[in-house]
Amino acid sequence: MELLIYNEEEMNRLGILIAKHLKGDEIIYLSGELGAGKTTLVRGIMRGLNYQDKVTSPTFTLMNLYSSHPPVFHFDFYRLGPGEIEELGLQDYLGRGGISMIEWPEIAGEELPREALQIKIELMADDYDRERRVIITGQGEKYCRLIEELMSDAHFGN
Amino acid sequence: MRDVTILGIESSCDETAAAIVRNGQQVLSNLIYSQIDIHRQFGGVVPEVASRKHVETIALVVDQAFKEAALNYSDIDAVAVTNRPGLIGALLVGLSFAKAFAYALGKPLIAVNHLQGHIYSNFLEHPEIEFPAVCLVVSGGHTSLLLMTSPGDYEEIGSTRDDAAGEAFDKVARFLGLGYPGGPAVQKAAEKGQAGVITLPRVFLDRNDYEFSFSGLKTAAMNQWRKIEQGQPGTVYDMAAEFQAALVEVLVEKTISAANQYSARNILIAGGVAANQELRNLMKKRGKEIGVSVYYPSLQLCTDNAAMIAGNAYYSYQKGDFSPLDINAHASLMSW
Repeated sequence: MELLIYNEEEMNRLGILIAKHLKGDEIIYLSGELGAGKTTLVRGIMRGLNYQDKVTSPTFTLMNLYSSHPPVFHFDFYRLGPGEIEELGLQDYLGRGGISMIEWPEIAGEELPREALQIKIELMADDYDRERRVIITGQGEKYCRLIEELMSDAHFGN
Repeated sequence: MRDVTILGIESSCDETAAAIVRNGQQVLSNLIYSQIDIHRQFGGVVPEVASRKHVETIALVVDQAFKEAALNYSDIDAVAVTNRPGLIGALLVGLSFAKAFAYALGKPLIAVNHLQGHIYSNFLEHPEIEFPAVCLVVSGGHTSLLLMTSPGDYEEIGSTRDDAAGEAFDKVARFLGLGYPGGPAVQKAAEKGQAGVITLPRVFLDRNDYEFSFSGLKTAAMNQWRKIEQGQPGTVYDMAAEFQAALVEVLVEKTISAANQYSARNILIAGGVAANQELRNLMKKRGKEIGVSVYYPSLQLCTDNAAMIAGNAYYSYQKGDFSPLDINAHASLMSW
């Protein structure tokens, strides 16, 4: 599915919408260049999960753990190189209960599971002042179903 | 009173460091095995490289710290080590080493919060600091304002909601093609430019609290730079100067306002961004206007170092507050 998001508040609402449909064991990839709004969307999802504490950029720490229900692992691979993901002990988190949200997943490449919800946030004409195009796709049956649910529940007017 | 000599070990990010400090004041040795050259090729700290380098260098650095202090291993009273926050792999190298060292010598272990260590850098050089003090800790991973009411007693009164100040420096420097580390690169470029030629927002959020937000400033800078690349007038020097000015103004005004509210006697700046000259100058100037002395560490103590860890551990030593040998490392700040 594809959406146009015009401001931070709409990005927040998209996050809340996504959160509503999560069962609690999903993997979500977030792609988009610096400043596109990846962390903002994660914050929206966390608000949707009723988590009111801070959701900060994990660029430095590589992973933030949010004690929401279900728990959320917020990764950021921006500073990593290929082949370095293993060091993080990523396998200890993925698929063991809890939601994993991963910024800059393309850096990990083949090391990440293929089945996931993939969210891509694009700038329009390279202009940060303009709206964002958000493209949500799913790999695997579970995530295709999640997209269908999201589409039937989206009231974003486009 | 008997002298207390503490070995400090720091490996939370890209520096492997060891130091020996007596009575929380007298630095007998302070070594940093700088890895900055390795990291420059990658445009940032590469954590995997960092943990591997820590493993390779830690024994060497610790041993050298004893040699320079002219002490034997058994001459120390405790082993202090950073256990939070930082890169988990890197932290574990220092923590495991410290546990083994303490166990082998039969000395107590003291786990130290890295950010408290940064604040302590000020006390290493300025024992005259008075309380209450408002402390601004600014680095690649953190931006926090703390109230310190007595030695070793910290309360966080605000922090960043999104990006840390140093992270914003690094990302904008990379975007502008200025290199790594971003703070010094932006400062250097800013010297050739002028703030105000290009205008960027000062994001204060609520004037009545001490929360920070730098994500919007980062995006605004990138947006303006894209437009300049596409033909709008503007230089990288003016951009660097304006970005630095916008970020520093917010840091300083929030700190000054906290100093007023809590009737602080002193303001302390600490962390990697405390090396920024613009931040030092403006904080000093504004502090003078409200009659509060401003302290910041000398440049070598702004970077990650182990003297600050050994120094801060002296508070815990005096209270008999030691850590169990099964204590863990934590990537994020669990509590103060």
